[in-house]
Amino acid sequence: MSTYIPRRAWQALLVIIGVSAVSFFLIQMTGDPAALMLPMDASAADVAQFRESMGFNDPLYIQYGRFLGQVLQGNFGDSIRHNQPALEMVFERLPATAELTAVALLLSVLVAVPLGVITATRQHTLADGLGSVAGLLGQSMPTFWLGIMLIMVFSVQLEALPPSGRGGLEHLLLPAITLGTYSMATTMRLLRSKMLEVLGQDYIRTAQAKGLPERVVIYRHALRNAMLPVITVIGLQVGAMLGGAVVTETIFAWPGIGRLAIQAINNRDIPLVQAVVFVAAATIVTVNLATDLLYGYYDPQIRFTE
Amino acid sequence: MRKAKPASHNPTNSASGRRRRDRRHRPRGLPTVILTLLLTLTIVLTLAGCGSPAAQEDTETVVTVLQGVDATTLDPNMHAETPTGNVCINLFDSLIWRDHDMKLHPGLAVSWQALDETTWEFNLRDDVTFHNGDRFTSADVKFTIERILDEEKNSPRRANLGGIETVETPDDTTVIIRTEGPFPLLLARLADEQIVPAAYTQEHGAQYLAANPVGTGPFVFDSWTKDDRIVLTANPDYWRGAPEVDTVIFRPVPEASTRVAELRTSNADIIVNLPPHEVASLKGATKTGVSSAPSSRVIFIGLVTTNEGPLADPRVRQALNHAVNVDQIINSILQGNGNRLSTPLPDNFFGADPSLEPYEYDPDRARALLAEAGYPDGFEITFDSPNGRYMMDKEVAQAVQGHLAEVGVTAHLNVLEWGVYVNKIMARELEGMYLLGWGNATFDADGTLYSLIRTGARFSYYSNEDVDGLLDRARSTIDAAQREADYQEALAIIREEAPWIFLHQQQDLYGVSTRVDWEARSDERIWLGDVKVDESR
Repeated sequence: MSTYIPRRAWQALLVIIGVSAVSFFLIQMTGDPAALMLPMDASAADVAQFRESMGFNDPLYIQYGRFLGQVLQGNFGDSIRHNQPALEMVFERLPATAELTAVALLLSVLVAVPLGVITATRQHTLADGLGSVAGLLGQSMPTFWLGIMLIMVFSVQLEALPPSGRGGLEHLLLPAITLGTYSMATTMRLLRSKMLEVLGQDYIRTAQAKGLPERVVIYRHALRNAMLPVITVIGLQVGAMLGGAVVTETIFAWPGIGRLAIQAINNRDIPLVQAVVFVAAATIVTVNLATDLLYGYYDPQIRFTE
Repeated sequence: MRKAKPASHNPTNSASGRRRRDRRHRPRGLPTVILTLLLTLTIVLTLAGCGSPAAQEDTETVVTVLQGVDATTLDPNMHAETPTGNVCINLFDSLIWRDHDMKLHPGLAVSWQALDETTWEFNLRDDVTFHNGDRFTSADVKFTIERILDEEKNSPRRANLGGIETVETPDDTTVIIRTEGPFPLLLARLADEQIVPAAYTQEHGAQYLAANPVGTGPFVFDSWTKDDRIVLTANPDYWRGAPEVDTVIFRPVPEASTRVAELRTSNADIIVNLPPHEVASLKGATKTGVSSAPSSRVIFIGLVTTNEGPLADPRVRQALNHAVNVDQIINSILQGNGNRLSTPLPDNFFGADPSLEPYEYDPDRARALLAEAGYPDGFEITFDSPNGRYMMDKEVAQAVQGHLAEVGVTAHLNVLEWGVYVNKIMARELEGMYLLGWGNATFDADGTLYSLIRTGARFSYYSNEDVDGLLDRARSTIDAAQREADYQEALAIIREEAPWIFLHQQQDLYGVSTRVDWEARSDERIWLGDVKVDESR
């Protein structure tokens, strides 16, 4: 265990560097920031001057090397479009995304766990049927469509919630539901099948035979074991949510890093793309690491061997 | 509903002991956690139900504008973007004011005259102060123009003023601008260049100005929450008179249907880029309406005439113009929101010739012309188009593809993301046909024809000596009558030679709340200095 965390941290660092290299070369291959930044009737001389001053004329590996050198000093460079430190721009928008993702995750777990338990313990009843259909729907509805439908119903028709923007709790609800639905459905369906599997195990029959209350059997013995794979999936959902935030933040005009990312990519604002990718990759890697550690804590059978 | 499970329920005396044992391993019971979380959710939902969407205060009038993206800077000299420009135009002024009909009038300059072909004198107002109290003088004009021209500052606006050689300030209210050669577009360009305070910018630096703008405009900067909102408040001392509204809010809302929802729920007053299919329902509602204006943007299909092949033959190009049913495209795909073009210039441009007729839709004529040119069975050609850049661009391209197929021309349509597409254009990798839109903020023929039609220009795939001669001559004089005659002569040749399939001038659409008295402008500017609000509507 003592060498496990440093080893994983080292691996995590390699992953982040790999991700940043891939995104750097991909974005370079698909467009020229100078072409998008300057007005279309700018002269060729102006474009050349702009490219030179931004260092775009150097070979790619030199540009990437220069970028890595800067990053080691904690500097991601300035956004080309905004002329502000790129990392600062990401951190400015991080709280909004963190807030949205946390609430979405919370909502999805709050709904998914009870639903998963209910549908599994009442298999083949109406409740199970409804729950399972809801889960299937939740997984198959496109986020984009769901978001727009929620706005149509709750904002335009019922006038109960604001259609977009960040503010109080009322602003948070629709985007959080939009972002959390897929994850909720995935978690619920997984938990249901795991619960069904566990409920058929011998030790559950033993627990029931020795007269434990149903509640204790379900929540202490069955759910605790069924939750193990679910925890892993919830960890993975954080990554999926950061991806989903791009769409959700766009629909609801939520001022987070998902929208920043899409604008940075559209503008081929390379330093900004790199900063967003770095922060997102670091978050996902950290969450995965935390999930693995939590997994070991929850399941004594898994011990981290050297 | 509950299905009886076998066995269980027999809470014995040892139950508490078991619970104690369990607790050793499990500090918190899962049900408790869930119960807590459910309670939280209930509170959240209740609170949310109580809150009404952003109630505006009764005491002040607020106008909220929704654009697709946030401003990237509030330094008016360091961007070339419409959404950023729309915020800046309410904070800063230009020397020259472009009115609703795109005619030039005095702004911060009360008058101007050309002393000779390359020397211009501007007389400035002496009663204007910046929001921080600094007096506006000729030094601010000189500072602004020079920082745009400074190569090291990398302003994307530099090309606009490229013809300027020096700026002199004989006194506080006089500016002399000398140009390298005759610069007929100088006035039109200056109408778009907003003046920043020299002393303030020098003292605090450009990055500070970009986040804490100080101008002479109708509104004063209040706050900017990135990607969320920019708040401006009325400038009571504005030299044109204080604006009627107290507060103006610019919010970036990327998704068009969300912008429409905000307008419908009275959370917004002006929304940009209204999709054509929303027009009817907004017009039908009591609290919303639509405002539109013919834009400075023309949409066309460029033909690469400079390579060997069918497009090098003017008869083929004329045939393609006869083959495409532009009126049908405007009426069905754009739902009427476009004006047909007969040349590269719309009628509201300087140098346009409204007497020129568009090509008639005539597929038989097209087939005959193709046969005459030696392509009785048509030909195959590549066709590039962006997606989502212009109103219904991909759909327009698909319609053109269909119309061309009817006369035997097979266009292989290639739809590209804008960033990729621009790169292809800049690298001059186009061949065959390409759909493009061209906005020209000067409303002058030069900005369109010289960049797109003249031999060897960056975006030109056409060459004609007569046209080149006329365009060069019109560019080298400030005699407006001579210029207009030259452009009209050139346009007649261009129409006949058909280096493009001429499509339409885009009609810009805005959703507008009926409580607001505001009209769309052709230059895409949202100026709120004279906007009026009537809450009773």
